[in-house]
Amino acid sequence: MKKIFLIVILICLNPTLLFSGTLKDLSKFKKAREELVKNDIENKGIKDPKVLAAMREVQRHSFVPDELESAAYADRPLPIGEGQTISQPYVVALMTEILNLTNGQRVLEIGTGSGYQAAILANITREVYSIEIKQKLYKRASKVLKSLGYKNVWTRHGDGYFGWKEAAPFDAIMITAAVDHIPPPLIKQLKDGGRLTLPLGNPFSYQNLVLVTKHGDDYSVKQITGVLFVPMTGVALERRGEIPSQ
Amino acid sequence: MMLSAVFLVSVSTLAFEVLLTRFFAIRQWNHLSFMVISIALFGFAASGTFLSILDTRKKGWQDLFSTRLSVAYIVLLYTTTAVLSFITLNNIPLDYFRLPLEPIQSIYLLVAYILLALPFFFSGLIISLAYALVPEKTGFVYFASMAGSACGAALPASVIPVFGEEKLIIFATLLPLMLIPASSIIRFTRHKSAIKDQRLMTPFIVLYSLIIIGFASFLMTKNGFFIIKVDPSPYKALSQVLQFPKTQIEKTAISIRGRTQKVKTAYIRFAPGLSLKYTDNLPRQSATFRDGDNQFVLYDIRLANEARFAKFTLSYCGYLLVPNTKKVLLIENDGGLALPCAIAADAHQVQIVVQNPQLARIIHNHYRFPVVGYNPRSFLARTNDRFNIIHVENWGTSLPGSDALNQYDLLTNNAFAEYLNHLTPGGVIILSRKLLLPPADSIRMWAQAYEGLKMSGIKNPPAHMAMLRNWDTYTLIVSAKPLQDTTKIKQFATDLNFDLVFLPNIQPEMVNKYNIFDEPYHFLEISSLSEAYAEEKEEDYFKAYLIDVRPQSDIRPFPGRFLKWPKLKALYKSMGSRFYALFMSGEVVVSVVFLEALVVAVFLLFVPIFVFLRESRKPSISQVIYFVGVGAGFMFVELFFIKRYVLIFGDPVISLTVVLSAILIFSSIGGLWVQHKKNAGIRNSLIVLIVLLLATIFCIEWIVDHILGFSVIWQYTSAFLLVLPVGFFMGLPFPLGMRYLLKNPAQRAYAWSVNGCASVLTSIGAAQIALSFGIPYIMGAAIIGYALALASLGRRR
Repeated sequence: MKKIFLIVILICLNPTLLFSGTLKDLSKFKKAREELVKNDIENKGIKDPKVLAAMREVQRHSFVPDELESAAYADRPLPIGEGQTISQPYVVALMTEILNLTNGQRVLEIGTGSGYQAAILANITREVYSIEIKQKLYKRASKVLKSLGYKNVWTRHGDGYFGWKEAAPFDAIMITAAVDHIPPPLIKQLKDGGRLTLPLGNPFSYQNLVLVTKHGDDYSVKQITGVLFVPMTGVALERRGEIPSQ
Repeated sequence: MMLSAVFLVSVSTLAFEVLLTRFFAIRQWNHLSFMVISIALFGFAASGTFLSILDTRKKGWQDLFSTRLSVAYIVLLYTTTAVLSFITLNNIPLDYFRLPLEPIQSIYLLVAYILLALPFFFSGLIISLAYALVPEKTGFVYFASMAGSACGAALPASVIPVFGEEKLIIFATLLPLMLIPASSIIRFTRHKSAIKDQRLMTPFIVLYSLIIIGFASFLMTKNGFFIIKVDPSPYKALSQVLQFPKTQIEKTAISIRGRTQKVKTAYIRFAPGLSLKYTDNLPRQSATFRDGDNQFVLYDIRLANEARFAKFTLSYCGYLLVPNTKKVLLIENDGGLALPCAIAADAHQVQIVVQNPQLARIIHNHYRFPVVGYNPRSFLARTNDRFNIIHVENWGTSLPGSDALNQYDLLTNNAFAEYLNHLTPGGVIILSRKLLLPPADSIRMWAQAYEGLKMSGIKNPPAHMAMLRNWDTYTLIVSAKPLQDTTKIKQFATDLNFDLVFLPNIQPEMVNKYNIFDEPYHFLEISSLSEAYAEEKEEDYFKAYLIDVRPQSDIRPFPGRFLKWPKLKALYKSMGSRFYALFMSGEVVVSVVFLEALVVAVFLLFVPIFVFLRESRKPSISQVIYFVGVGAGFMFVELFFIKRYVLIFGDPVISLTVVLSAILIFSSIGGLWVQHKKNAGIRNSLIVLIVLLLATIFCIEWIVDHILGFSVIWQYTSAFLLVLPVGFFMGLPFPLGMRYLLKNPAQRAYAWSVNGCASVLTSIGAAQIALSFGIPYIMGAAIIGYALALASLGRRR
């Protein structure tokens, strides 16, 4: 009944919804994708040809709600409903690049979300395992990935905190959900020399990346800021003449 | 009837307004609710503009509107629009994050503004009609309006736990309907002159009222409640958690302080600052949420070995400096990690202080530790106890930037000094927070601790401070005695792969070893600041830095506010030129709202003057200045007390309720008293008021410091009575001005509009004044407002 009520309100507020019908212009999207990769991915320093090829290939507009299709190839995060977002394309490219993936590797993704990141990974590597705890997202993303023909992506509805034991160990792990600590079980499922990455902060504002590399029982943790944070402290600004010295 | 209508509508409108802030606090974040409500309040001013325009368009409008029937119709329209606007706001798919992406979202926002303005328009119309049509009774009208508003301010606090937010909103909007049957029974003889038509209970009105009451009753039933049920924004932490399997809300407690909900789930795992060296599972956890956010985690632990994981967190470092910890004070806002740390350390005595009494009960029932449920600053002011460890836990909201407007008195210089006064000689303060780029919060907290140490008479503050971090969390440790031997801290960092950010005598080669940034940004900035302090050039540092990291005192307690307007462009660039990183900042929202409000105010005030009003009906410039001054002054004083009293009560909603009730009651008494006063009283009342406000500025800090140490009942009583003299005299200028300065109904309606516009603009302006300069400056602005009103009177007697 709530849905009916919402529909009535929506129609009252926006009568054009009655006549909406999206005609997808695939060549338009392809061109937009090409421009996105050129202007916002390549120009910002992403160099890995496999990543660039995947970004050119994967149809981001298929992973966003219909009403946001026109914004699908802008370099920004987009809300996809239920408080979820699809990451900024540059962040997706950066996260993928720093994993340094090769063709025959096995990757675990925690937080399938829209499925877009899994699709990018699937274009680069052999096996992608993706876990989503939120059922609606899991169903939606699995459906889209299937409809787009990704056969090397395995999705599961469940708790990503404990990883995917049956498929472990992994060459790389990508956490796309917000976490305040790196789950110990995931570290255990990472191969020696393996890489784990996760984004920091709210997808709408700060989003730097963390890259963890496993060396036996030790780990190195590196912050990757890409172009998302340009360290311009007071001294740096002064030096560049952007503010007058006090 | 008119006075009863003014009273009931005022009760209803203020209760509606207070409850809307609750509604938005749950649905969205406070700064976004500020955006919608501020604009909606222009409905009040629009009613005055409407009457001014009507004056030139329709002859005899006074006769039309002075009938009981008209008043009844306006009351019905108020109730109808209030109910419908609430329902629509609750169901409209307005998503602030989609605003720049979907044109339809701008329409939704516009619809929200307009719909919400309507009930305020009809409520304002009743009050402005009363002023315009019954000039000889302005004192009574003012009394009815203010006393009604005072009741409306107090109503939600007392009954919200019984009804809940949704049902109380509907109930509050129905209140004025009481007028219709009641006034048919009771004859009001005193205002017969103003009421031309005695008919009231027409079949249409009876039928319409019954339909509204019937619909409202349906909304409160099980079947209809889904229409008004207020759920948090899907972006809020609670909504996210509720999407996990087998997750449900176990318990809900509602009060005016917020909606506290305990969630049962197997999927919450909270351990910020956990070392990668910890390889076991975490204990099982559940969580509570306040207004859908501010997660507080409850761990299923009783014994020290069950809390072993806490020894691998950054916060635990503080405990290493105090072996055999006897007394621990935990000041909790959100998070919940401080408790496992105390349990893991096997602390002998743990005292917890939580602002929210509902959360206090939940924590007590879970851990069985003593928990105090009131303002921690007040707790410290009352106790002489000293603690080995004071652990302050506050991680902030789930939306960066949304904290900018939040007044928080537990992280100021004065708060640090207070904590230091309650430490044993070897005691330490522990504070853990999120680590951000560009470095901001970490620098400010370091500076605040530095200032707090200085205030406590410590000569070399850096010798008492340490800071560590991992990749997303930092911990600040402030010791009562100098940290002469830092070996334990260094060893802790090495063992658990944490990085040092600040230590006495720290060297560059000691930092950025395990959690590597391109540059050791946090170390570099804090070292620079430390050097600047040593050379007494800290002001230069704060001026030059990209964002505002100046330490905050009780005078300007906004630790989440970082924006520097002159460096906005550089900040935008430094954050990757991403619009949203700035848009969600509370301060940017305030500016956007102020601009919108300015446009609306100019429209409402200039259209009647330049387009409609006849020359003879136009108010003079001095009259306009008088009502701008009085309206702005009143609102500034209100906001000054609300913000100042947050220090006493620790909660802005409680502060708002106490101040609004007190000011409105005392002003209403002032309005009643002034009913028999002559014109000459205007000037004198303004002079006395200005003197009282000046005295308040000079005495308030001293008085508030003393009230902090009182028992709860005396805190409320003294805070309430402190407003008495100012509140009483604030109730004089408006009714006196309405009665003696203005000549015709059009002018009075216009004055109401001016007053309304000034109130809304100043309420937005006050937020920016407090953020940029400090709370006392709001009172300075109030004095300027009243002085302007006084000057506008000229030498006329």
